[in-house]
Parts: sequence; structure tokens; C-alpha cells
Amino acid sequence: MILEFFRFELREQLRSPLLWLLAVLFALLGFGATASDAVHIGGSIGNVHRNAPTVIASLLTAFTLIGMLIITIFISSALLRDFEQGTADLFFASPIRKRDYLLGRLGAALAASLVVYLVIGAGLFVAQFMPWIDPARLGPVSLTPYLWTFAVLVIPNLLFTGALLALLAVLTRSILWVYIGVIGFFVLYFVSATLLKDLDNAWLATLLDPLGARALQRTIRYWSVEERNTGLPAVAGYILGNRVLWTGIALAFFAATFALFKTQRSGTGARRWGRKAVAAAQRPGMDRPVQPAAGSMPKVTPAFTAATAWQQFLRQLRFDTLGVFKSVPFLVMLAFGMANFIPTALDMQSLYETPIYPVTSQMLKALQGSFSFLLIIIVLFYAGELVWKERGAKIHEVSDAMPVPNWVPLAAKFATLVAVILSFQLMGGVTAVVMQLAKGYTQIEPLVYVKTLMLDSVVYILMGGLALTLQVFSNNKFVGYALLIVVLVAQGVLDTLDFTHNLYNFGSWPIAPYSDMNGYGHFLTGQLAFQGYWLLLLLALLLLSAALWVRGVGGGVRQRVALAKQRLHGRLGIATALAFTAFAAVGGWLFWNTNVRNEFVSPDQQLDLQARYEREYGKYKHLPQPKILAVSTHVDLRPETQTMRVQGVYRVQNPYHNAIADIHVQMVDDKALASIDLGGARLIRHDGPIGYRIYRLDRPMQPGEQRDIRFDLDFHSNGISNQVAQQQIVANGTFVNSQMLPGFGYEPRAQISDRNERRKRGLGEPTRMPKLENQAARASTYLTDDADWIAFKTTVCTAPDQIALAPGLLQREYRRDGRRCFDYAMQQPMLNFHATLSARWAVKKGVYRNAARKAVPIEVYYDPKHPYNVDRMIESVQKSLTYYEANFSPYQHEQVRILEFPGYSSFAQAFAGTIPYSESIGFIADLRDKDAIDYVFYVTAHEIAHQWWAHQVIGANVQGSTVLSESLAQYSALMVMEKEYGKDKMRKFLKYELDRYLSDRGGELVEEQPLYRVENQQYVHYRKGSMVFYRLREEMGEAALNRALSRFIADKAFQKPPYTTSKELLSYIRAEAKPEQQTLITDLFEKISFYDNRLETASARKRTDGRYDVSLTLHADKLYSDGKGKESAGKLDDWIEVGVFAGADDKNQKVLYLKRHHITRKDQTISLVVDQLPTEAGFDPNNKLIDRVSSDNRKKVSVDS
Amino acid sequence: MLSITSLSKTYSNGVRALDNVSLDIPRGMFGLLGPNGAGKSSLMRTLATLQEADAGSATLEGVNGEAIDVLRDKDAVRRQLGYLPQDFGVYPKVSAEDLLEHFAVLKGLTVRKQRREVVDALLQQVNLWDARKRKLGTYSGGMRQRFGIAQALLGNPRLVIVDEPTAGLDPEERNRFLNLLAEIGENVAVILSTHIVEDVTDLCPTMAIMNKGQVLLTGKPNAAIAALANQVWRKQVTKAELPRYEANHTVLSTRLVAGLPVINVFSSECPEQGFEQVAPDLEDVYFQRLRLQARHASQTKAA
Repeated sequence: MILEFFRFELREQLRSPLLWLLAVLFALLGFGATASDAVHIGGSIGNVHRNAPTVIASLLTAFTLIGMLIITIFISSALLRDFEQGTADLFFASPIRKRDYLLGRLGAALAASLVVYLVIGAGLFVAQFMPWIDPARLGPVSLTPYLWTFAVLVIPNLLFTGALLALLAVLTRSILWVYIGVIGFFVLYFVSATLLKDLDNAWLATLLDPLGARALQRTIRYWSVEERNTGLPAVAGYILGNRVLWTGIALAFFAATFALFKTQRSGTGARRWGRKAVAAAQRPGMDRPVQPAAGSMPKVTPAFTAATAWQQFLRQLRFDTLGVFKSVPFLVMLAFGMANFIPTALDMQSLYETPIYPVTSQMLKALQGSFSFLLIIIVLFYAGELVWKERGAKIHEVSDAMPVPNWVPLAAKFATLVAVILSFQLMGGVTAVVMQLAKGYTQIEPLVYVKTLMLDSVVYILMGGLALTLQVFSNNKFVGYALLIVVLVAQGVLDTLDFTHNLYNFGSWPIAPYSDMNGYGHFLTGQLAFQGYWLLLLLALLLLSAALWVRGVGGGVRQRVALAKQRLHGRLGIATALAFTAFAAVGGWLFWNTNVRNEFVSPDQQLDLQARYEREYGKYKHLPQPKILAVSTHVDLRPETQTMRVQGVYRVQNPYHNAIADIHVQMVDDKALASIDLGGARLIRHDGPIGYRIYRLDRPMQPGEQRDIRFDLDFHSNGISNQVAQQQIVANGTFVNSQMLPGFGYEPRAQISDRNERRKRGLGEPTRMPKLENQAARASTYLTDDADWIAFKTTVCTAPDQIALAPGLLQREYRRDGRRCFDYAMQQPMLNFHATLSARWAVKKGVYRNAARKAVPIEVYYDPKHPYNVDRMIESVQKSLTYYEANFSPYQHEQVRILEFPGYSSFAQAFAGTIPYSESIGFIADLRDKDAIDYVFYVTAHEIAHQWWAHQVIGANVQGSTVLSESLAQYSALMVMEKEYGKDKMRKFLKYELDRYLSDRGGELVEEQPLYRVENQQYVHYRKGSMVFYRLREEMGEAALNRALSRFIADKAFQKPPYTTSKELLSYIRAEAKPEQQTLITDLFEKISFYDNRLETASARKRTDGRYDVSLTLHADKLYSDGKGKESAGKLDDWIEVGVFAGADDKNQKVLYLKRHHITRKDQTISLVVDQLPTEAGFDPNNKLIDRVSSDNRKKVSVDS
Repeated sequence: MLSITSLSKTYSNGVRALDNVSLDIPRGMFGLLGPNGAGKSSLMRTLATLQEADAGSATLEGVNGEAIDVLRDKDAVRRQLGYLPQDFGVYPKVSAEDLLEHFAVLKGLTVRKQRREVVDALLQQVNLWDARKRKLGTYSGGMRQRFGIAQALLGNPRLVIVDEPTAGLDPEERNRFLNLLAEIGENVAVILSTHIVEDVTDLCPTMAIMNKGQVLLTGKPNAAIAALANQVWRKQVTKAELPRYEANHTVLSTRLVAGLPVINVFSSECPEQGFEQVAPDLEDVYFQRLRLQARHASQTKAA
């Protein structure tokens, strides 16, 4: 019998065209993800082979999540079809067994689902043979990863999702509810992802993922490219735990399904929950025979006026809107949205898990990301529901025969969607305000809420409206939804296929960034213009829908079209034509703006330009160009209109032995260069799109000759561009830097660095930086070859209510022509790296005093809305200056300024004595929790350290130069932070750095370098840099290391070319290190090394004298990795800490023993004696070593009595 | 009141739903009798502005005696119309009162106070007052039909069209429902479509019989019955004999009495020994017309 059910059901399922349609659709997605960069599922592939085992495993696992949408159909139809179609009675009246029925049906549904996954797998497999794939991005063809993934992930996931859906189907007996369950599952799935952010919750987070995707990701998280290309994880640890748990749960669900499956009709069994329906007999009068009411019917004949239709519209709107509000899917989405938003908003953080203040803009960001996005599901779903509401309930023959104008139903349904969107947003907004108040934050900005939520709603209105019109056009719910999916896919795919113009990508526009300082600024114009453009299209489509709106019954396509033509004769037709015309007109106007007044360059075209730049001008790489000696600018800044005029003079010199005949001028924005005077020159080549000009000097620059180069720059916008408008010159918070001024000669940093993009354009392997050994490259710093050390002065005039700032000492502040002007001049040479800022700031002043010299004023220029951490910044500046002056060298500038700028970028950057600091980091950090990492203090210390590491010592343009700036700034800041917060805090911080280093190296695009050859790789020079220098400090001692650094500074500060390198730094460090520390320095700087250290066992025994013997079994291992992640064994010769601790938890732990041991063997047992009852022991307990499994370094001590 | 002239409609699958239908429908109850698929619903939907006709016309007499073109001036018709479709649904989670109120606005009753009065009165009239707060999903078939008639009566319509309203009702519900209809029929034109002959016999002063899109008979039921006087004969036969009778006679109907077929035969004289003459009823008229049409069709085909 089971087999009979199975066969019958499987045949039914496999006959369904839907199965094959969806399977092929998904297979195409998988195919696309493997065979091209156009489709992304489960994260991009990056530098890993397209068919790498880990990629296949990740992709197939991702499909088991979205595949739930398909298998829901199978499972629910297998279990519910007989109830929906009323054939259940036929079945269960016959002598069949529940077991046979259920097992047969379910088995067949699962088998059909498996067929879908097999088709998807085939799509993935076939993709690797496509001829257009670069063979360099393919590994060997193998079936093993497919088999592995099916066995370990796909089939267990199918069992679990099938069991979950079966249980839902049996419990609810409603396909709708099963789908709601699926939506709920999706939301919960993504909500639980936030758990993973917390490192200590790794086990919980991986176990909580029923699909095992996170267990897989967690396991391969620190894998190098090489490992990802060749290996598959062992079925152990996270993966094994996860699989066992969820397969077990799946079996339990199946058992529950079996137990709860009832064969009788729905509603006849005892209710499982909820109130019992009130017995009908209790209701009086229901069964009384008809007795016409005593009074006669009031004869009210309706009067039809102009207002009638309007009132009918409002009524329909109210009725439908209330209908949505009361419907289960809406309430479910609302509940999920709240469940998603509230924890997100409660736990808002930026860096290092430190919370931030619930400022309105951040609340809105959280709201949009965790709540509002659900609207897309809501509008798409309800667009179909609303169009089919009357027909679905078979009520249309009644309502369509009522005296309602044709436009009312469609208009009301669209208005319903809008009302639902706005209400949903309103509920989110109110919740956000309540949460702000609950957190004691009272600076509510209602207008910002209204503005942001309205702007945010437009996309949902567009999508909902489009869904509505597609339903009307297709007049078939299924086709309507299918068309919608086509639009959604197109939206995603067009972009990745380099079709990025907003004019043809429905519902896209340059998204105006919001900043507390600058509001929506001038960005809104572009967004609103494009939003208007798309809303006009929607209006036109809605009017067309009104013509095609089905009223009554029957009538084929031809009749609909005929009727539509009839309806379009008249006002509706005129309105439709007008709307289409307006859409086209606005489109034309936008095209004129984006493509004629502005240049439209797609991302691929941009890369093509870069490739052409390299091909045509790369030959000028070593062409001698003048060096800038002094920069003097006059900046006329107009924040009000976002324009800027710069009149500048470069004092340049020819430092070479030969004359310079040609000057190559390069501009980031070529159009801005109004004029340039090179002292007599003729333009012989001008490449506008690239911004490259070649001038032939009338009189070549002779060796040693100096001359002035004058230029006039004019920055202004030309209407609306396709991308987000420029973010430098803004109404409040302008931040422009020296890159906007003319530069000289070819700039290798502008080459494409992505290996795959280079290969596509035949450019050969990337070289990110000249080799460390390249002596010629030491002629310039790694920042620029246009100048060495320059003199700098500037005059900046800005709006009368703003302050303008630039490096240098303020000479004079005055008014001219109604503008507020500032003269700044540097008192000592600086790098050719400067910035001009202007905003309406509040100012807080502090001072740093050092007995040896005069006071250094400290000024923080901040937005009045963000006063929270200004004092902390000043304190950090004071403590940093104290430490650096004591240990390195004197501070070279007259002042320290910190300037807040809008959060369009999230960084802080050190210019000479002047530090722009993004509003999105630090200014709104909530440091009231003493356990949180005070990254405001840390980032400030880091930027101050750059006044030494970059602004005194700057590396040559070779590998490893960022060690001298970034890694040393990290080290310096760590020292200041350690003094402030103690060593315990450092452990938490370093664990973050370790985690970031290990996970980011998997995303390496070219090749990981050892620290001393770092090629501006952030995960190396920041993250690994912290780890390396902190460990080095532990081994060498702070005094010795600082001695090396201060000697290095003494020799290299403000040096002339050839510039210094990481190799030279190492020689200073090695000179201070002991002989036995030399290999360590090699390991840390010159190799990529990892440890695999763990504490195997820890036991203690009480001695007769009351103390404890502790015995620890340690495992140690050291590995070296090459740049691709291929590993080889290393030789252990390391000093590693061993610790024993007392006390219950982390915070109150007492150190009983902490000492470095010399480790030379992989396995060893250590015995030691402690005074107190030990609770925990550890091998490298504070994670000072780079160890990929940092959690097994500590263990509880078992005490034998 | 409503006159229909040469109305025709052919569906895209080739079915001729209306074949040159002409009818004159006076004030009062008008019965439209026909088997399933006769074209009754097509006619009703066309009159209710829900469906287009291919040819013909229909004219409704307006309040002031003006003529309304039913096929063109749909809005004017809708303002006069109360329609209860054959197979209509409700929103199961909405209460009767709310939905009726909603419909009232759509019917043009936009003045709140008036609307409330009308809705309340209608709920009482169809005896749903006590159940007005209940969700429509909990209603029985009869209650739902009464709700249907309540909505059809909103806005004081002058033309009420009810399509097979008694199908699926138990006898008691059916009676209640028909009583209600009869009461309305005193004032306005009510077109009652049905395949149940008794409905028409009991209620309708005028009627028409339709089949296969054609009107087979129109007029007063009594006159039609009288026309068959002395021409209907009845006999009890055996099952084995039945095919012979059907072949040789115009058998109007067959029904089982105590397990044996009793046939009614249409004939101007006693067809055979053992037949007894019976007084005709509307059912005989109905079947006689259908048989006549069938014979016609086969003759046409043969010719």
C-alpha cells in the first residue's frame, strides 16, 4: 500500500509543470552564479575557484533555504490536497491505513523535492564547462563535493524542512498558514544571524541554524584561498553537532506529524486550541420563521452626485485597508517586523560591539533594515490579494453590478496599498520613538522620521503598484506573480550585468544618504527626480489598468481589449496619454541631465577607462616630473550652492639631472580645471574622460630650476547625475582633500588591482606595490611622487555661519564680501596631503601641557547634536601626546584639531595636526558601559599616533611601507589604551583583531603578504599588525621596543629620499632584541605563521600543605603559510604563556600563575604549584598568538580530591 | 418594464448562450424556467451589466418613464438594479452588518443616517437582525441567501434579478425565501431564474421557459397549463418496457412510484390501453416544450 501511494503521488508531483518550471528556474540561478558574476547567491566567490568544493557546498546549502518555497508546494499539496478538494472522505472511508497514506504521500513529496535539488545540482555542475569561463578560475572537475554536500547538507535539510512543513500542514490544514510558517522561518533565520556577531556565541549560533549553513561558514571561516579551493570540512565539530541536532529534530517532527494527522474533516474534531464556538442554539431568533418587520421598509432611493463616487472610493479604501489589517499574513509580518526591529534597535552598535546612542538617524537606519523591508513581501502579496479579492470570494458579481464608477475599485485598491505601507511605517516609527524615550533619549526628530519614512515608502509604493498593474494586465494571479518575479530578477541582474542606469531599472534612483550634520542635503534632488519619473510610469500603468480593469464575467482577451479601447476614448485616454507623455518628458530631461550635462560611466566602462589609462599612459610611469615644494591656495567655498573655486599656486622644482620638457597634469575631475599656467606651455594631448593632459613647456625646466604653476579650479554640479551626487562639497560638512588638486604624471595607484578584472582586459597580473628590494622606488613616499615635504598655506572663505579649517596655524580670521575667511599657514614642512573642511560646528577646547614646552591647544569641532564623547577625545589626545612624546619624539605641530564630518564615509584620517573624524564613528558611541571597548579613545590615539607614524616617518613607495604608518599607529594606540584600561581589556580587543585578521584573509584578492611586505592590505597592517606588535612588546619589553622606535624616528623623521622601509625598521628592532628573539621577529614579520595551541587536560590535586599541584597537558604546533594559504610545518621554538586562574567568571578572575614557557615540542605536560584552588587554566590564555582556534586555549581545571 | 429584443451571445468556445432572445417583462414576479445550461444565467448577467451581448437590445423603463438602454447605459441600469447571482460568496470574516453597510455605500447610500436605517430595516426584513454581528462564514446556506437578497434590495431597486436562489436550500429555508421574494414582487420587477418548476407555479404571474439559449414559451403559467388540458396521460410501466415507450411516444417525465416507473405522455388522444388522463401542471408544460424543441432540432438536423 505504501508503495502504491508513493508511486501515485510521485507521478502526480512529477507531472506538475510547476515543479519543472521552478526547478529549472533555480537551476538557472545556480548555473548563473557559477558561470558568471551576474548572479550572487550565498556570497560572492571572489578569488576562490568557481567550482571550488566550498563554493559548491555553500551554494547548494543556500538553495536549501530558498528551495523551501518550492517544497512547500509539494508537501502541502501532498498532505492537504485531499482536504482542499474534498476527496479526503473518499480516501478515508476506504480501508486504507493512515501509516501507508502518510508515509507514501510524504515520501513522494520528499522524493519530488530531491529531484528539484538534483536538477539544481546539475545546473551547477554543467556551469563549469561553459567555454566563456576563464580556465584560471576553475579547479579540477569532481563529483565528490556534490556527493558530500547532498549527504551532509542537502538531504538532512530536506528532511528537516520537509518535516517542519509537514507538521505545519497537519497542524493548520491550510496552505496559507504553511506559507506564513515559511515566512516566519525565513525571518527567524535571518534574525538569528545577528547572534553570530557575538563571538562567544559561536556554538549557539551554529547550532541554531537548522540548515547548517552557518556551521559550514563558521568552520571554513578562517580558511585560506588554497584550502577553499581544495578541501571540504570534516564532518565534526560545529557541522556534526548541527547535523545530528537537526536531523533528530526532523525525526521528532515527523513523529509528531504522524501522531497529529487526523483523517476526519477539518472542524469536526475537538478543537486543539482556542475557544469553542458558541453553540448555535444559544443564539435566539435565528430559526424563527420569516416575519416581515412590522414597520415598512424605508424607501430610500440613493441620490447620485459628484461626491458619491468619492465616498464610495473612501469606503472601499477603508474596507480593504481594514481587511488587510485584520488579515493574518499582515499581522504575522508586523509581529515579525517588530520581533526583528526591537532587538536590533536595542543593540545598535558600530565598532567593537560598543553600543551607540539611539539617535534618530540610526534608529531609522535600523528600522529600514530590519522592519520596513518586510513591506516588499507585504505589498507584493497583497497586490495580488486585493486585485483578486472580490473574485476570490466570488463576490464580484454582486459588487460589479453596483452603481460604482469604473475607476473606484482600482483606485481604492492602490490607495489601500499606499495606506498599508504608510501605516506599517507609522507603526515602526512610533515604536522607534517609544524605544528612544525608553532609553532616556529625548532628542526626537519627528520631521526626520516623517521625511525618511516617506522617502523610504516610495519604493514599496512603486513595487506594490507595479504588482497591481501586472495582476490587472495578466488577469491571472499566477501569471501576475510570475511577471513580478521577472521584474524582481531583472532588477537584480541588470545591475550586475553592468546595466546600471536608473532610467531603465524600475524603481531605482541615486539613494540620498542621510547625515545628522547635513540632513539629506543636495542629494535629495536626484532621488526625488527619479522617484517622480518612476511614479509617473506607475501612474500611466495604473491608468492603463483602469482601462483594462475587469468588471463582470467572461469575455476573452479580444473583448477586454475592445472594452479598453472604448474606455480610453475620453478622459481616461487623455489622462493615460498625458501620463505617458510626462513620463517620457521627465525621462528625456533626466537623460539630458545624466548623459549630456553629466557623463554616465557604468562600472564596467569605468574599469575599461582604467585599463585604457594603463595601456596608453603606463609608459610614462617613470617619466621625471617636477616636485612640489610649496602649495598655496585660495579657496572660495560656497556650501550654499555646493560649489568651490580654487586658485592655487604650486612652487615646483626639477630635482633631476635632466631637463623636463613635458608636464603631465592629471585631474580626478577633468572638467574642474578651468585654467593652468605652467609658465608657458602648449597642450599637446588632452584625454578628457581619463583626466590626463600633456603640456609641452615652451621653455623646458632645467635641472634645479624652480617655477610657479598657477591653476584655477571650478567645482560645480551640472544638474542631476545617475549616481549619488558628489559628497565632498555639501551644505554643512564640506570635506575636500588634496586629491582634487592637479597632480603630475602617471599614477600607478589608479590601475585596476582586481586580478580577474585585469585578466578580462588582458592586463596581466596585478602589481600592487613595488618590491621591498626596489631601490629606485624609494625615491618617493608611498603617498605620492609629486612632492616630498612641502610648505603650505591657504585662505578659505566660506559661508558666514560656518567655520573653515585646513592644516596650519590660523593666521587671521576676517570677513570679505560677506564671506567668512580664514588664513592658515603651516609652520613646518608637511606631506603633500591636506584637506579643507567647513561646517557649522560647536567648538570645545582643551590643552596639553608638557613641562618641556609650551601648551598645545586641543580643539574639537563637533556637530551640536553630538556632544557625547568630545571630552573623551580631548582626554585621549592628552594621554596620547604624553605617551608619544615620552617614548618617541616631540610633537611637531602647534595644535591638535578634531573635526567632525558627515557620515558619508566612516573613517578618521590624520592630516598635519588636523584630524577629520566621521560622525558615524565615535561621536555617537555610547561609552557609559564600562565594559565596552572605548574605541573613541582608541581611534583618537591611533590618529594622534599618525602625527609620528606618517607625518614624521613616512615609508618609501615599496611593500611594507604601511607597517611604518598603520601598524605602528596601532601599536602606539594599544599602548595608550593599555595604560588607560589595563591588560584585561586588551584581551577583548585583540580577540577582535585576531578574528578580523583570520576572516578577512579568506577574501584576499591577490596574495597575502607577510607583515613586512604588506601591500596596503588592511587586514594585515591593521589587524595582524596589532597582534604582531603586541606580542613583540610582550617578548621584548615595552622599553626595548620603544627604544628601537625612538631611535628609528630620530634617524628617519622628515627625511629626504631615499625613504625608509620596513626592512630598516626591522633592523632597529633586531638591534634591541635579544639573540634568541631573532627567529621570533622573522616569524612575526617575514613569515605568515600560525599556531595551533590548545590545552588538552588540566587537573589539580590538593597538597598536604594546602597548596595545589596542577598538571597541564599542552599541545602546540606552528605552521607557515604561503600567500595562497598553502601550509608547511614550522619548528617550535617559542615562548608561550601558561596560566592558572581562580574565580568563577571572566571578570573576577584572579591570576594564580602566568608565566612564559619555552615550548619546543608539540606535546608536553607541565606541572606547577599554586596557592589557591584553581578553576581554570590556559595555554596562551590571553590569545596573544595567532591561533585559528582561540577558544580551546582555556579549560576548566578538574580537581581530584 | 423591461423589454428584451433579439438578444444573442456566443461564447468563445462556440456555445450559443443566448439565441435571439426576446422577452417582455412586466412589473411583478417573472419566472425564468429552464434546465441547467439553458442560458438563464447568461441572460441575467447580461441584464445585470456583467456581460456583453453580441447583438440585440434591452430597454428598461426608468423612474420617469424614460427608456434606459441596458447594454450601453450601464451606470443608469446599475442604479436601478438589485442582483443576486446564482453562485455568490461572502467574505467569511466580515459580519453581515459590516458587509451590508459596505454594499450600501457602493449602492450609493452615502448619507450615513439613511444608510443605517436602510441596513437595519433590511436586516430585520430578511430576519438576520439577531445574527447581524456574526461573521458571514458561520452562516447557513439559507441565511446566506437571505443576506444576498438583503443586499439586492439595497437602494430601492426597480429591477431585481435573482438567479437560482433556492438551489441547495432545505424546504423550510426555501419557503421563507420565496415569501420574501413575493413580498418584494408587489412593487418592482423581479426576475426569478430557476430550474425548479414549483417555484414558478407558486409565485410568478408571468414566466418564460428557456433552453439552449432560446425562449421556448412566454406567458402566464395558467394559460400554458390550460393549453395542455386533456393531452397528458399517465401509466405505470415496467423498466423493461420503458425504452419502447420513449421511442414511440412523447414521454414528458418518468418517475418511480413504489419502484416502478410512472410515465407522463403527451398526446392528443389516449395513446394506449392503460393510460389515464391527468390534469396537466406546469412541469408537464415545461417538459412538453423541451421535448418539442428537441424534436425540432433532430428534424432540422435530419432535413
